[in-house]
Amino acid sequence: MWKLALFLIATFASAQNYDLLIKSGHVIDPANSIDARRDVAIKGNTIARVAPDIPTAEARKVIDASGLYVTPGLIDLHAHVYGYSGSIFPDDTALTTGTTTVVDAGGAGYRTFDDFKKTIIDRSRTRVLALINIAGGGMTGSASEDNVADMLPDKTAAVIKANRDTIVGIKCAHFSHPGWDAINRAIEAGRLAGVPVMIDDKIFTNAGRHSREKLLDRMRPGDLHTHVFNDRQLEVIDRFTGKLQPWILEARRRGVLFDLGHGGGSFLWPVAIAAAKQGFYPDTISTDLHSSSILIPQSDMPNCISKMMLLGMTLPDAIARSTVAPAKAISRYPELGTLSEGTLADIGLFALRDGVFAYKDAWQKKMLGTKKLECVATIRNGRLVFDTEGRGFPEWTTAGDYTVIP
Amino acid sequence: MRLLIAILALPLCAQPIYDILIRNGHVIDPANGRDARMDVVITGNKIVRVAENLPAAHAREVIDAGQFYVTPGLIDIHTHVDAQGAQLNVNPDHNCLPSGVTTAVDAGSSGHKNFEHFKRLVIDRSQTRVLAFLNIVGAGMYGAVEQDVFEMDPDAAAAMIRKYPGIIVGIKTAHFKPPGWDAVDRAVKAGTLANVPVMVDFHPMEKYPELVLERMRPGDIDTHFYGRLTPQLDANKKMQPYILAARKRGVLFDVGHGSGSFWFRIAVPAIQQGFLPDTISTDLHKSSIMLPRANMITTMSKFLNIGMTLQQVIERSTIRPAKAIRRSDIGTLSEGAIADVALIALDRGKFAYLDSGHGKLIGDRRLRCALTIRNGKVVWDEQGLSLTDVSRAGPYSNFK
Repeated sequence: MWKLALFLIATFASAQNYDLLIKSGHVIDPANSIDARRDVAIKGNTIARVAPDIPTAEARKVIDASGLYVTPGLIDLHAHVYGYSGSIFPDDTALTTGTTTVVDAGGAGYRTFDDFKKTIIDRSRTRVLALINIAGGGMTGSASEDNVADMLPDKTAAVIKANRDTIVGIKCAHFSHPGWDAINRAIEAGRLAGVPVMIDDKIFTNAGRHSREKLLDRMRPGDLHTHVFNDRQLEVIDRFTGKLQPWILEARRRGVLFDLGHGGGSFLWPVAIAAAKQGFYPDTISTDLHSSSILIPQSDMPNCISKMMLLGMTLPDAIARSTVAPAKAISRYPELGTLSEGTLADIGLFALRDGVFAYKDAWQKKMLGTKKLECVATIRNGRLVFDTEGRGFPEWTTAGDYTVIP
Repeated sequence: MRLLIAILALPLCAQPIYDILIRNGHVIDPANGRDARMDVVITGNKIVRVAENLPAAHAREVIDAGQFYVTPGLIDIHTHVDAQGAQLNVNPDHNCLPSGVTTAVDAGSSGHKNFEHFKRLVIDRSQTRVLAFLNIVGAGMYGAVEQDVFEMDPDAAAAMIRKYPGIIVGIKTAHFKPPGWDAVDRAVKAGTLANVPVMVDFHPMEKYPELVLERMRPGDIDTHFYGRLTPQLDANKKMQPYILAARKRGVLFDVGHGSGSFWFRIAVPAIQQGFLPDTISTDLHKSSIMLPRANMITTMSKFLNIGMTLQQVIERSTIRPAKAIRRSDIGTLSEGAIADVALIALDRGKFAYLDSGHGKLIGDRRLRCALTIRNGKVVWDEQGLSLTDVSRAGPYSNFK
């Protein structure tokens, strides 16, 4: 009997309890207030343990993360992966940038959500969530986006209630008519379904709506205004005095959230610099990545984080606004945006490079910086899906006549 | 005397205004035998001059290329592209232009039945020049239909190719599983009818010598050469003689890296024995761009670190593929050519590369595309070389 006991002890002592071990990285997990060297062990698709020193013998596969930052998989709260003409398939841009969750910002409306789910959401390795457009036809041009008759709060709320696993809110965007119809209906749908609304609204003459009224009287606490550093969408900085608008701070105090939404037109260095100087940063960092923002401005998540750091934000703060903050904004906290034990293993590994780097805004002007955050590896649902430095794999000369190494 | 004045005045009068002057880069332009520090001038969408020490004062925009190699826009002759991301295909612009690739040849996504749909949806909407190998399968590369011999109509394929000369640059046969030569023969027949090369992705193992020595024609392209399904090495990792014989008769061997077709344990011994690929290409798709990172610039870096020279790598990514698809008007920096240009950095340090089996090669060099010009326009500029610093931007009064 004691022989059996000894055998069991020996088995357990040498057992490979974990499928994957991320060894010796610097963990930044703002939700758990961790900003220190930690090992992260994964079993199946779940984070099993986060501790200062987990022996490599306990894992079947080890990724050497020394010199790297290990963060929760980034959450891009403003992406375009369906409907919009510039939308892009999520995996090749998200998973290669440490982004494991993208939130499509209004590509689909209540009429087109099923097609979105079938063609993109169900076929992506990236977790794709959705802000559903208040316009029934989605973000497909003014025929849909200006069609108030097809902005139906009850139908929109019904689709949300039937798809709570993927729809996390409502988008109201590009409404080019005067008045509050689109915004009011979006907020009404949000109220019916109990979800936040993200607003993307242009300032134009005779709109009959003012940012101040929108932020203080119309939007609810928890609603988001995106494109915060575009002075044509939301005049965060008074263009004559250069001062932060007092009602922006008042809106923030009421709980209205401000989202970056970089995009092809919505991140302007002069606005961002003036806002940062006065201590105003976006609550959530997001890309508005699409075919016009991906190439020259390169508004992917690590670049947006690097730009925020160039404006004075610390790396842990920027990670918080790219993980736990967006998770909370869409009521997906604590299951997303953390490295808590027991949560799904979505993880980003990043290097913070030194050098001279150009950061380009939406007007294609550059600002030079000396730090650059770069994704080195991505783990999605417990699997290493991206690994630019081959940290999870052996040298070919030692692998014999290898077939595909898992 | 008058004649003399006229001759003297001529260079001044003929002096053009340069739109873009790419200054002092190391030009590698194998088609023209250039391998030296030179300036490259673009006016409109054309390359107008390549020479030393051209006057910067004549340029609207000067790009300092002192730290870079300046090459023709790269040509990737084995891609799977679709702007909407159908099946495994990827968006050409997002995945090619950052690699310096200005011409992507789609390798058989569409056949004669759906090429025009592909053209409308992808070719006509892309900034990248997208060309195509037409699949011999009428319905294209969409699953079970690829095994259907009755879908392979050489006459219909040839007719479609003749309708789009220079855009459809060849025929593709791929993924045919049954034994026998049905697919290859029909593809070759279509190729002969339309006078274009065939790219072959077919792996008859023990009958492979017959494929490359008898069935394929000179100028036809065998892709996935460094894959496990091609019997290129013997048990002692020596090159098989029939490969050398096939090359001698003009069959071309293409990389087509992909997620299954590039293995260091095959490529390293083959290249060490001097068997370089005729063309470097990626087999770019949703899966190959992830772990093996089979985009063009990374694929080229792998060959560089295996031991090929930079000049060999650039030649096999520009003029050689251009000639293989009979488009020698591209892949060069010839004066008068369309201005497709890449600025490539050669980084030194410690870099790792994965192959299709996830075996790792550690190397000391990495190629990185800093800037891409397509049709005279800067479409990728990682380091902002062509952009104004915000401190000198003035008021943001006009959009862009």
